[in-house]
Amino acid sequence: MRRAPVNGQELSVGIDIGGTFTDAVLYDQQNKALQWVKVPSTPNDPEQGLLDAVESFVGINLKQITRIVHGITIGTNAVIERQGAETWVVTTKGFKDTLEIARTERRELYNIKTLKPASLVLRRHILEVDERISFEGAVVKALDDHDVESLLASLVEANPPAVAVCFLHSYVNDSHERKVADAIADALPECFVCTSGQVLPVLREYERFSTTVLNAYIGPRMQHYLDSLMAQLDSREFTGAIFLMTSNGGVVGPKRAGEFPVHTVLSGPAGGVAAAIELGKETGDSNLITCDMGGTSTDVCLIEDLVRPLTSEQQVAGLPNRSPQLAIATLGAGGGSIAWLGDGGIIEVGPRSAGALPGPAAYGRGGEEPTVTDANLCLGRLSPDTPLAGGLLLNEGLARAAIGRLASGINQLDTEAVADGVIKIAVARMVSAIKEISISNGYDPRDFSLVAYGGAGPMHAAFIADEIEIPSVIVPFSPGHFSAFGCLGSDLRQTFAQSCHFGLVDENWNDIEAKLHEVESLAMTSIKVDFPDIDSVEVEREFGMRYVGQSWELSVRVPKTVSSTQELGEVFESAYRRRYEHVHELPIECVGMRVTVIGPIAGPDGSLGAEVATAPVKRTRQVYFDGAYYETDIYDRNALPGSLIGPALIEEDGALTVLPPGWRLVVGQARELRLHHNA
Amino acid sequence: MNTCQVNPITLEVVCESLRAIVKEMRASIIRASFSSAIYELDDFSCALFNPQADMVAQSDDHPGHVMPMPWSVKCAMEDFQGNIFPGDVLLLNDAYRGGTHLNDVTLLYPIFNDGQLFIFPAVRAHWADVGGMTPGSYSGLATSIYQEGVRIPPIKLYERGKVNDGVMRLLLSNMRLPDERYGDLNASLGACRVAEQRIEKILGKYGRTLVLDCICENLDRSERRIRARIQDLPDGEYCYEDYLEYYDGEVLDPVLMRLRLKVSGDQLTADFDGSSPQVPGVVNSSLAVAGAGVFVAVKSTLDPQGPVNSGAFRAITLNAPEASIVDVRADAPAGAHGEVRKRAVSVMLGALAQVIPEAVSGDLSGTSFPNSIGGYSKSRDRSYVYIEVPAGGNGGFLEADGSSAFVNVDFGSIRSIHNVESLESDMPLQVRSCVLREDSGGEGQRRGGLGMRRELRLCEGEALYSVLGDRAVIPPFGMHGGGPAKQLSVSWERGQTVKLFGTPGKVTGHRIQKGDVVIMESAGGGGYGDPLNRDPEDVRNDMLSGYITPHRAEAGYGVLFTGEWEVDDDRTSALRLDMLGRRLRLTVKADETYPYIGNRGKRRVVRLSEGTITGLGVRVGDLIELMGNHPAPLRCWIEFGAEVEQDICPMDAFGRRVLGVEQAESVWVRSLPGPSAAGGMAV
Repeated sequence: MRRAPVNGQELSVGIDIGGTFTDAVLYDQQNKALQWVKVPSTPNDPEQGLLDAVESFVGINLKQITRIVHGITIGTNAVIERQGAETWVVTTKGFKDTLEIARTERRELYNIKTLKPASLVLRRHILEVDERISFEGAVVKALDDHDVESLLASLVEANPPAVAVCFLHSYVNDSHERKVADAIADALPECFVCTSGQVLPVLREYERFSTTVLNAYIGPRMQHYLDSLMAQLDSREFTGAIFLMTSNGGVVGPKRAGEFPVHTVLSGPAGGVAAAIELGKETGDSNLITCDMGGTSTDVCLIEDLVRPLTSEQQVAGLPNRSPQLAIATLGAGGGSIAWLGDGGIIEVGPRSAGALPGPAAYGRGGEEPTVTDANLCLGRLSPDTPLAGGLLLNEGLARAAIGRLASGINQLDTEAVADGVIKIAVARMVSAIKEISISNGYDPRDFSLVAYGGAGPMHAAFIADEIEIPSVIVPFSPGHFSAFGCLGSDLRQTFAQSCHFGLVDENWNDIEAKLHEVESLAMTSIKVDFPDIDSVEVEREFGMRYVGQSWELSVRVPKTVSSTQELGEVFESAYRRRYEHVHELPIECVGMRVTVIGPIAGPDGSLGAEVATAPVKRTRQVYFDGAYYETDIYDRNALPGSLIGPALIEEDGALTVLPPGWRLVVGQARELRLHHNA
Repeated sequence: MNTCQVNPITLEVVCESLRAIVKEMRASIIRASFSSAIYELDDFSCALFNPQADMVAQSDDHPGHVMPMPWSVKCAMEDFQGNIFPGDVLLLNDAYRGGTHLNDVTLLYPIFNDGQLFIFPAVRAHWADVGGMTPGSYSGLATSIYQEGVRIPPIKLYERGKVNDGVMRLLLSNMRLPDERYGDLNASLGACRVAEQRIEKILGKYGRTLVLDCICENLDRSERRIRARIQDLPDGEYCYEDYLEYYDGEVLDPVLMRLRLKVSGDQLTADFDGSSPQVPGVVNSSLAVAGAGVFVAVKSTLDPQGPVNSGAFRAITLNAPEASIVDVRADAPAGAHGEVRKRAVSVMLGALAQVIPEAVSGDLSGTSFPNSIGGYSKSRDRSYVYIEVPAGGNGGFLEADGSSAFVNVDFGSIRSIHNVESLESDMPLQVRSCVLREDSGGEGQRRGGLGMRRELRLCEGEALYSVLGDRAVIPPFGMHGGGPAKQLSVSWERGQTVKLFGTPGKVTGHRIQKGDVVIMESAGGGGYGDPLNRDPEDVRNDMLSGYITPHRAEAGYGVLFTGEWEVDDDRTSALRLDMLGRRLRLTVKADETYPYIGNRGKRRVVRLSEGTITGLGVRVGDLIELMGNHPAPLRCWIEFGAEVEQDICPMDAFGRRVLGVEQAESVWVRSLPGPSAAGGMAV
């Protein structure tokens, strides 16, 4: 049995398994020491990248490590690439098209060629069972054993790797779902089976079924990954605890993650957002837009007043995922994104990426197509002399040749101008993603600071900020490992949502309390699945409440002190007035509960990193900015003066910060770089 | 056009902030409303207007609402010129003055700055009931507007911050479920108050002048953008015609919508001259509504990414005969505004196909298909009104098959059906099933999308069922030889018996009782391209997935399979060749005889010889379509013409322009079977 997290003499590792690189941070609590490594990702066996990273720490044996926390993008990638398991669905008779019909609404208006997002499940892989539960939970049509037998026969013949059992009204009574799921699990022991009542026991079948199908679709991959990982760790005599980041910015153990992989869809980028919030607390910056630009993709997130921006209304590749998650938007462009010629000779960047293999042309591993990284090398921003992770040196000749091929496609002979264009296009894509999460939601990006991290973030941040007039850019210490760093400090966090139905009248208070207790114990039980010894937890309670006659509930944080329906009503009314500017004199009802159980984990504290004396300019290089070459000073991040005037390049392990002409930089109290436009 | 000098980032931030206000209003209304038309279906829109009645910002709002809204705002501003004060709230739903149907009630909330009317948020929301002869106020067979509910000219619901109690009580006492109405009204008001605060914040930050400059520049740049797209089209006149289904009692008397679309430089004129005069039936609407259809079609084919505001509307001129189906006057009904708008989209697609054939799709399902059931639930001790508008298919297009059960492009982000679980919790109805309707998509190289079949059982007491659909007899059309889609259908089941209605697609207050099942089947979308050119593997996949039947694979697509359901290539090629050879062709002869018949309506007839009619395998009175050189077909009903020669098709100049054929050129013919009205066709 694995140990519960201990907050004593820890040797913990945070890992971010990205599409291109796997980053890891090792934290030695006793010595308050940090180590970073970056190794190429191994997309076919992600656990290999994780082990490679852990084993490349100097002077550390895997056996000594007490805790590994990691973020992983298996789930998202499987959906985006449509490479998940062949998923079959068992549903209520008469409803085989629930997933394909969906809610019928058009998300892009005014385009006659808009298509509905395709379902993950083929219509012929959906089987119906004659059963029915009423909205009150009563059995209207009981399951017929004979029907279940013939269903099993069909499934056994097809032998699918994953089955989602999705019946109507299972949020109130999931006995039919469980019975069928158990029978399938017995008949097909290798099959990944889940039910909608377990994945997301809340009203509204389409969204619940969609989330459940996502869970099944990515389930086999995730379980395979976790099984391999655990076997490898066992064979290396690892005895510590292992966690995965979840979409809500918390962590879970492998058992829960394997059962409910849909909660890890945003596992990769969640760590960075968690870290940005911690950084903001330290530096006093309360409004942040994060920009995590890796090799394959970029994740952006808006944080107002340092509040974790939680939502349960997001989509993966156009398909609703109602599990609680951070409001992170992802776009398919990063440092490894390929630049290509689209219709009419327009240069486009992404979404195709050269990944780690073959990687950008400059890697010299057979990549022929130009990437954003190649463009940065052509302009003198990336250095041909500074080795990347794994000691790789970039080959400028290959990068120039690749950009040159693109240039000849548009009869443009100036390689620099084309390289600059490639970067500008990548930047424009970042800018439009940031506009979408800020301006489109009523936020002025000029009221925010841009926190740039990921291997390619700090290289482009100033240009992004210029475009939308964000006044300051923050580059955290060791930005290439920031997400991994964020994993270290994330708490255990289990959220349980459940639909219910209580009028807010005195005689219901006991029932409400009992139900709340039930949901809380479910959350506790599930945390204990992975960590039986956990004792200290915090609990957050939210009730979904509304006026009788309404359909949508308002989610209201309910303090522990509330001890009557009257107080509950007051909490609701004040929240309702805040949100909608009016209240009604109508009875109130409670239709859902959401409980989050938090097991706090102590991460690294603020006083990190060695103090390094100021050293002189490392060297200078000709760097191209906006039409001309500038003699540019290159600094080592660990040896910076207190302030700098651009142009300058700041090199460090795993990242490069570009300070363009017209920008200046100061080093902040958390050793973060603070970039400002001179104007 | 004066060009304001605004920092481009500021311009974008201010305009997007205004848009964000609208988005926030939307979110607030959905969450706080009491009727499912709003909270489940999203049938409402928000927008911001300036005092000149320009719509300056909207978000993902219903195109069918946001384009007529400026017209009604203009009417309200005219009525209350100089007589609007802080704290006033205006209400209106007049279908003759920029309204849509009476259910769409608009709330205007003037906001002042420095004592001057500055900007105002507006909400147009579908009120689930506004009185009238049936629950839900949808009366497919209404003959005057008084049967469709309470008509509200622009009035002040609040004066200087004080509610006008008499008005409020008068309105609510003429509507079913007054508490629900009151709750929805408050949700809309609350949203406007949220908007007011946000606007004050923006004003505080940027100042009045800058905000006004941004609004002005945004309207102008939207106009410039759409004009640039129109400029790219070759100048000319493009014609098309189509129908709406009007019943006089149980007699079908289709009304004609005729369009001449003129492109001249960067200006478009949509001229509806020749369309039917208004009828004492629901298929009339205001020109604002037909104009919305025109705009949607232009924008969705030419410039999907462009902004939507009043600036973008300036490049389009509308002409229509007064008191016609596209410019209704008192006191004709106006309930089928959605169908009028959708038919305007259809005729626009037919006309645009002649100039941008690669940018259009097959016809859309072409009806909003509102179904309502109203009654009293004893177990819940409350009355209820159910509304759903089950989405149909979309037309196939150059690159892909049309999407199935997916709201058409003029319908915004409406969710056309409830979640089953919410519906069953809220009302005494059980959804027996909800599935795609096989074979309902138009055949084509790119298939049209499928409609859905949704069955609802009444679980308690009695209730009244109404529907106000179209395309129940005259099906959506295909393009470039693509086939028509299946018409919508409604029927009801009691015990073992399923019955159709005598007026397909239009029913008013049909009484159902506990255990009865209403079966709603939405129309498909039209095909695109010749079905005989569809990849046989796509046909096979459609068949294996149950989108089409094996029979349709053979009869419609000419695809035959082996015993293992693999495509039988040799037999398929032979069958396709044979089917092509068997297509019936007629030779066009110029003939300027007036081609339309009808009582109040007008429908095109084609006079053919007895031998031709027999050869086509059809009968007098049947509906057919003719395919010429233009992508969209011409629909007509068969008449016997004693004087007409064998295999000759007499055709007037307008018809020839629709088809793009000259004298002596040939057209091919497809018959369009469908249901008929109990009373037959008007003569």
